[in-house]
Amino acid sequence: MSLLSLQHIVKQYGNYRASDDVSFEIPQGKIFGLLGPNGAGKTTLIRMITRILYPDSGTILFNGEVLSDKHTELIGYMPEERGLYKKMKVGEHLVYLGRLKGLSLQKSREHVQFWLQKFQIESWHNKFIEELSKGMSQKIQFIATVLHDPQLLILDEPFSGLDPINSKLIEEEIHTMSAQGKTIIFSTHRMEQVEEICDEIVLVNKGKKILEGSVKELKQRFKENKFRVSFNDEIRADLLNNLNVVEKKQGELTVKFQQEHRGNELLKLFVEQGVEVTSFNEELPSINEIFIRQVENN
Amino acid sequence: MNKIWIIIQREYITRVKRRTFIITTLLAPLGFFLLLASSFLINSYSQSRTDVAIVDETGLFKDIPIPDAEDHTVYFHKIDQPYEQALKLLPKEKDADAKFQAIVYIPKGFNIDNPKEVQIAYRYMQRPGTSKHDFINRRFSTAIQQLRMKKANVSNEDMDRIKQDVELNFESLDNSKESKGYTDAATIAGLVMGFAIYISLFFYGTMIMKGVMEEKTNRIVEVLTSSVKPFQLLMGKIIGIGAVGLTQFILWILLTGAVNMIAIPLFGSHMVNSGSLHGVNNAVDQDSIMVIRQNLASLPVFEMMCLCPLYFLGGFLLYGSMFAAIGAAMGEDSDQQSLMIPVTAPIIISIIIAINVLNNPDSNLGFWGSIIPFTSPVVMCALIPFRPVWWQIGLSLASLAAGFVLTTWLAARIYRVGILMYGKKVTLKEMGRWIFAKD
Repeated sequence: MSLLSLQHIVKQYGNYRASDDVSFEIPQGKIFGLLGPNGAGKTTLIRMITRILYPDSGTILFNGEVLSDKHTELIGYMPEERGLYKKMKVGEHLVYLGRLKGLSLQKSREHVQFWLQKFQIESWHNKFIEELSKGMSQKIQFIATVLHDPQLLILDEPFSGLDPINSKLIEEEIHTMSAQGKTIIFSTHRMEQVEEICDEIVLVNKGKKILEGSVKELKQRFKENKFRVSFNDEIRADLLNNLNVVEKKQGELTVKFQQEHRGNELLKLFVEQGVEVTSFNEELPSINEIFIRQVENN
Repeated sequence: MNKIWIIIQREYITRVKRRTFIITTLLAPLGFFLLLASSFLINSYSQSRTDVAIVDETGLFKDIPIPDAEDHTVYFHKIDQPYEQALKLLPKEKDADAKFQAIVYIPKGFNIDNPKEVQIAYRYMQRPGTSKHDFINRRFSTAIQQLRMKKANVSNEDMDRIKQDVELNFESLDNSKESKGYTDAATIAGLVMGFAIYISLFFYGTMIMKGVMEEKTNRIVEVLTSSVKPFQLLMGKIIGIGAVGLTQFILWILLTGAVNMIAIPLFGSHMVNSGSLHGVNNAVDQDSIMVIRQNLASLPVFEMMCLCPLYFLGGFLLYGSMFAAIGAAMGEDSDQQSLMIPVTAPIIISIIIAINVLNNPDSNLGFWGSIIPFTSPVVMCALIPFRPVWWQIGLSLASLAAGFVLTTWLAARIYRVGILMYGKKVTLKEMGRWIFAKD
């Protein structure tokens, strides 16, 4: 069952189509990557999901219902460009944002306490926002996003500006929430993070969806039938006659086949020739490569 | 509705708790106190004594009294020495202790019927100020008038009778309390009210604009709009800051009242009685000040107290939303001051209309100025002491309400697009397009 379903979404600004008949499903409990180059229309899509903007045509369903204002309290959104009121204290600021998401004053205070404790930053409660470093306020922004216990979390470049330790903290939190059944939309340019974190992705470019699927499935779909073999001995020249070697280094070969090829057959060839194979892998494209190729072809 | 309330609370509490709010609230009445005190001190130190010798070669003024100034600034001395000798009595440079500081010389041949042919001269080392200059001129004009009366065989008693001022008894048919000097009192009250509304519209309007710009510049608006509608955000901000304004107003009135209770007995009455604050030196003007003071009490205080806050509120809602829209369009690009002209121009025009209307409260300009919602908050507040008819007030309030509904609607349309628009230089034409843009 998908938590969120976008159906034929169109959004036009003057002559420019920011979303051009975009449809995709976001399954419940998955971490979903929304990818695309700058200006592809990601932010417009997110703003329509968060009801900051409204589509010109098309439907968005949340849990099977047409998305409406009542759903905004079930969504937590951390925009890429984010800010806080500098003259407010951390505690009162978080309580305020929690209340705007529909929590009562009492509940909001409890939740703020819980999260500050969880991140071991209770001492920040009475600090002014303007006293915080960029990384520190990122943490506060993350808490503000999850404070009201949303069903759907939308994180736009959540790691920008974070040091590795805090990045890890947030990443772990994302996985924990996913394990609790929350759905997470994750938008980023950093492809290595996509592979690490996302279950499924959709790729948009120039307002159109150009690709969607699970990370595993996409890697399979765009594989080029390349295998890399490492070995200890010299290799006989005639062994390579029938193979399309795309890369050759000392003790390592990369072979490419025209069609889908079973790895075992290639391995067998080497083993039968008495070559001592030390490693053997199929080379799958990275999401980054797929991304660049698809955007360029588009 | 609940969310607007939460936003109002934040806008209000964060501002009221700020140090600048507390300081400006306390300092304004203190500043008023200092202003009173310093003008008193300046006045008492700036009053120097001038002794004027009168050399009369014609002998005309021998029996004509030329009284000294009541505020002890000018003394006249008729002396019997010839002009050349009298000149030697004047100090060569500025000297407060010299016997005379100036000479009035009435040369032979001076003719009261043709005083321009041979003129009376005033010789000095130290140039007299405007008020002394006027005072001395007045004294000699009066003296010459008396000489002319004598020549025409008119006795002083006759002259007093002839010169007696006539004051019509201006009496309103529906309010018998109005008396002589009421118009002056109403003008002063109207001016004060009009200016108070004018200044506060600017002050709190700018506060709204800065608040919106801050939210847009630090990008919190993106987080907020995913929780609340832009309209809620706009209303919360306007009402919250409006409440800050009212709070400050009330505190100012209370504090200024307290300061006045201390200051007026100390300095104020002295200033009014001596007339020096106004540069007024004769008894007639002092009387009229007393009359104005008496009449201030007969102003429609109740109507003023009820209607002026209402007009402040209406005007504030009308202009506040427009200031917010401009703030949303400007954002970080604060050099686009020209965008403010459509908002600031009507406020400035309304104070100009108000000042004109005070001299002519029944004019068409006054009527339309008090009906058109862009000018009515300032103009009507200036007019209330003149007791406009009830249907004019009703029409004005209805039109103001319609006006702020319209501008709030327009401003909200501009605001909702503006707060999410970055990196683009916005023009007024562009803002016009936003009004009709789809959501």
